[in-house]
Amino acid sequence: MSYLSANPAARRYFLRFSSTMGAYVVVLIAVITYLDRSHPTGWIVFVLAILPALPIIGIIVAVGLFLAEQKDEFQRRMLEWALLWGMGGTLATTSVWGFLEMFSHAPHITPFYVFPLFWIFVGIASVVLRLYYRGGDE
Amino acid sequence: MNNRLRMLRAERGWSQAELADRLEVSRQSVNAIETGKYDPSLPLAFRLARLFAMRIEEIFTDEA
Repeated sequence: MSYLSANPAARRYFLRFSSTMGAYVVVLIAVITYLDRSHPTGWIVFVLAILPALPIIGIIVAVGLFLAEQKDEFQRRMLEWALLWGMGGTLATTSVWGFLEMFSHAPHITPFYVFPLFWIFVGIASVVLRLYYRGGDE
Repeated sequence: MNNRLRMLRAERGWSQAELADRLEVSRQSVNAIETGKYDPSLPLAFRLARLFAMRIEEIFTDEA
């Protein structure tokens, strides 16, 4: 928490991230409940299907704003590296899985899982980077 | 890139956290620069030089 209180960009990111995730949960529950009870048809289903994706896009915007607002260049570089590793890991995994689906009848996985997969790779990369740059004061 | 940051900091009796506060960066940033794992940008190198009242070349030396 000391990092959050000392770093305004991190604090703003935390607030944006938590409010966006909160909105995601509310919208998702509302959409599922409505679809379950009302069984709508036509264009409204299309709109309802897109609604939960909007907060997900909001998270991407929040990360972009955090990168733009982060004044500590080393911390910014760490996040950039982690995001690049996330991108590389996700592209590699989805490419391999795509070929497995095409040629070896691997089960189809919906693209919905690409987003969490990306963040799993970002998380792993962040831990590795923190361990590499970890250093105690004498 | 090599640097004399640890020595300069020790001469002034500053901890990494104190130097970080003066530079308005995180302690991890100071540690990464000190250990040569991260080369600071030119603006941050100038801030460091100004803080120690030295020229950048007196703090950082080309490894070659």
